[in-house]
Amino acid sequence: MRGTDWCLSSAGAALVLATSSDEQHPAESVMDGNSETFWTTTGMFPQEFIIGFPRCVKISKVAIQSYLVRTLRIERSVSEDPVGFEECIEKDLEHTEGQLQKEEFPLPEFQATYLRFIIKSAFDHFVSVHRVIAEGAAENT
Amino acid sequence: MVKLAAKCILAGDPAVGKSALAQMFRTDGAHFQKNYTLTMGIELLVKAVSIPETSDSVEFFIFDSAGKDLFSEVLEKLWEQLNVLCLVYDITNEQSFNNCAKWLEKLKTRAAGMHVPGVLVGNKTDLVGRRVVEQKQAQEWAEQHGLEYCEMSVKEMKNFETPFHILAKSFHQLYKEKVETFHSLA
Repeated sequence: MRGTDWCLSSAGAALVLATSSDEQHPAESVMDGNSETFWTTTGMFPQEFIIGFPRCVKISKVAIQSYLVRTLRIERSVSEDPVGFEECIEKDLEHTEGQLQKEEFPLPEFQATYLRFIIKSAFDHFVSVHRVIAEGAAENT
Repeated sequence: MVKLAAKCILAGDPAVGKSALAQMFRTDGAHFQKNYTLTMGIELLVKAVSIPETSDSVEFFIFDSAGKDLFSEVLEKLWEQLNVLCLVYDITNEQSFNNCAKWLEKLKTRAAGMHVPGVLVGNKTDLVGRRVVEQKQAQEWAEQHGLEYCEMSVKEMKNFETPFHILAKSFHQLYKEKVETFHSLA
């Protein structure tokens, strides 16, 4: 059975918050399923964004496509509002010049209504995030 | 419209005018501190500069740090993840110019290979008769070390905004170049 990517806006995901501001590269770009569009941070770390799901969903794998991210922390919340976050994972990523970071985080299946991505440090002044993916089983209704 | 944010460190020997510059810049020239007070540790001030001919701006988080060695260990952490450097010396004090190399070395060890835009600033141009560091000499040194250069007199309110405009422009340019790189990745 093919999983659903809950981070797609077409799956009902919505952006709750993003800390930086370039109108041409909004954080919604990480949810459009297209690696060519991206969100940029606009200076100083940490930087973060929060994605809200249409309801509490089950997730078994999280992935990110980014550039120049060093320390990444992913948190989840099961609350109705984007509060009470707890850590899923924190990791130092590798950097290869000219190559998109494609990182997968296999996680024990968990529930979430919100996911929060915190970029704690970077290899340069600015980073880009092209996609985030949170895969889970589509619900049997 | 882009709003950038940059951590800016004001570095240089004690009494070259770092705090005076910071205060003048913060108050748009309304406040020149006549009496010297030694900065202990750190003072933070925040101010935005717009980039000419764009709707973009850079908000500076300026860390006015103590020039005295005594505080340097306390301030080690401060140099982490800095975005731009404003290095100040006193044109009437040769030692303060010579020590710029030391300050720059400190930056290099902290920046870990990252390009950090910087500007070398000669202060106190009002003390014409007491100048010991020639503009040409300083300018050449700045060029050799990849720094922009300007001179100012905070006291006479001359050019005190120039260093920040230079840094804002460089940082903005850096952002635009990065975005080009990001475009080429996918």
